[in-house]
Amino acid sequence: MTTAARNAGARRVIGLLDGPNEPARGLVFWLLFGVALIVAAAAPAFMSRFEILNTSNFLINGFVALGLGLIWGFAGILSLGQAAFVGIAGYAYGIIGINLIEIHGNTDLAIVGGLLVPTAVAAMLGFIMFYARLRGVYVAILMLVVTLLFETFLNQTAGPGWFIGDAHLGGNNGLGRFSGVIRKPPSLTFGYGEEPHVFEGKSTEFYYLVLGLLVIVYLGLRALVNSRLGLVLIAVREDAPRTESLGYDIRLIQLAIFCLGAFLSAISGVLYVSWGNFITPAAFSVYNNILPVIWVAVAGRTSLTATVVGALVLVWLSQRLAVEGDFALVVLGSVLVVSMMVAPRGLLLAAGEAAARLLARSRPAARG
Amino acid sequence: MIGFLYQYADTMAVLALTAVGLIVIFGMMGVINMAHGELMMTGAYATSFAYYAGIPTLIAILIGGIAAAVVGIVIERVVIRRFYGQLLASLVATWGLSLVMSQGALLIFGPQVPSVPTPFGSFTVGEQSYSYYRIVMFVVAAAMIGGLWSLFNYTHFGVRARATMENPEMARALGTNVRSIYTLTFGIGSLMAGIAGGMFALTATIGPFLGQYYTPQAFITVVVGGAADIFVGLVASVLSLGAVRTIFTSQFNILIGHVAMLVVALAIIRFMPSGISDWIERRRQRVRNR
Repeated sequence: MTTAARNAGARRVIGLLDGPNEPARGLVFWLLFGVALIVAAAAPAFMSRFEILNTSNFLINGFVALGLGLIWGFAGILSLGQAAFVGIAGYAYGIIGINLIEIHGNTDLAIVGGLLVPTAVAAMLGFIMFYARLRGVYVAILMLVVTLLFETFLNQTAGPGWFIGDAHLGGNNGLGRFSGVIRKPPSLTFGYGEEPHVFEGKSTEFYYLVLGLLVIVYLGLRALVNSRLGLVLIAVREDAPRTESLGYDIRLIQLAIFCLGAFLSAISGVLYVSWGNFITPAAFSVYNNILPVIWVAVAGRTSLTATVVGALVLVWLSQRLAVEGDFALVVLGSVLVVSMMVAPRGLLLAAGEAAARLLARSRPAARG
Repeated sequence: MIGFLYQYADTMAVLALTAVGLIVIFGMMGVINMAHGELMMTGAYATSFAYYAGIPTLIAILIGGIAAAVVGIVIERVVIRRFYGQLLASLVATWGLSLVMSQGALLIFGPQVPSVPTPFGSFTVGEQSYSYYRIVMFVVAAAMIGGLWSLFNYTHFGVRARATMENPEMARALGTNVRSIYTLTFGIGSLMAGIAGGMFALTATIGPFLGQYYTPQAFITVVVGGAADIFVGLVASVLSLGAVRTIFTSQFNILIGHVAMLVVALAIIRFMPSGISDWIERRRQRVRNR
């Protein structure tokens, strides 16, 4: 390869990662990103065992937040039922894992199932919704209704008849920890033979696994939104009929991005159930559906960066509030209402834009 | 047969009562209010408190309606007003509001408030015993639909309200105070929701999450009915969805009844994207044009 070709390739990669469709960009941002990465990588050395497993749990929420940010912020599809895919992924991983962990000695198939089952469900629902050209509001509410039906269904599976292989669905006790059955969803386990590698949810290893995955997914989505497909997504969001008249099949595009959003939620689901070795129907509850909407709306849905940071900050905040009393959800709900009123595009995004403006203004002065 | 009719009437009454406030707010005004169920919860709570303060049941239900109307008007003035014309934004904002209201009720009043005893007693046909109150609910639901219909068709306010929804600029130019019409109409929808909540307070346990159960059903009923004629739509939607749910619930269980209702609702929206009433309207016009 010639130097020129290599340079062109590098420029293309930089163009995708630092492109204009993600508002958080430029040298200052990447410096901050580097600092954040170093802090996150070094953090386990200074944290207790509990803090490490707790932080892993925070990071797990990043994927579902990115999924919702992608479909709502970039493609204009709001879903009030993203938790459905987290829950389905968790149950699929748990059920397959419980049945196969001893036979296979690893969770490869459980991971594949955990990621593909919710994506297939999303494809089915999406096919019905987008090919019927349901209005955006109907899509949003329908997703909530479907999720709540899953919750109702799973809540009534406490009886002895509800076994799938060795896995007992366990009604509202869920799969694992709280049901009387000993078999619980396994931790992520890789490799074959005598010594498979287990990523136990409490371990520092698991923390690095989740952190690494989150960074990869985040950078991958940055590249996606700055690619041609990203431009088409934004076109669909801004003016669907016009995009269609330019020859794009918007139904297919909406379906595809909806499936990708579900896939990202599924990553959260698989990681969550393997982190705690349990999942209950509460995964489908109204709260677990509204929380991603709160993170994404309050942070700023048109920025992947704001979405992740907002999710982490708000999950941390709600945990702090939960320690103080039962008003965490009242506060989060109020934050959502107020932020929709004062900064409809997101508080964090507005703050970031203000900071960027300040920076741009001060720079020529510093040079001169 | 009597058992089935009784169940059918009961299911229809529940669907109609949950949706009757929302046909005004969502169907007519086109405003999304995800806190609709929480307005019903407000009505149920106020009814319970009024009843245990010694007020007769029927007046207690009215008080429930008025309480919900007051809360609804405050919500409209403070929050929803800012989101007219932005459906997804108002969806999210009012969903936040519903979270605040249900969690707030949990904090203040605890996980349950005492429900009001069901009045009117019961009657028996053969082996089965039926409650008169369920039939009263059906009659009240029908009366509320009829009352709303007369209000919007025969009163001065109704004409102004319909004009405002049709063309706000023109209505304003002709001297209608559009803002107060919106607030009042929203208040009427909330009043209906509150009365429905009060009616339900006599049949079931009342808790802060009562609303979560009813909001999705209310939206499904209204969407299936459509906005071309909200009254025709509501009646058609309640008749059809009620039948599906009653049949599947009695043959299988409540869960399957819900799923069947959702599937049928989806099928209806697939083939009549603007609801049944729009489909009826078009048929009628086609016949007239012939």
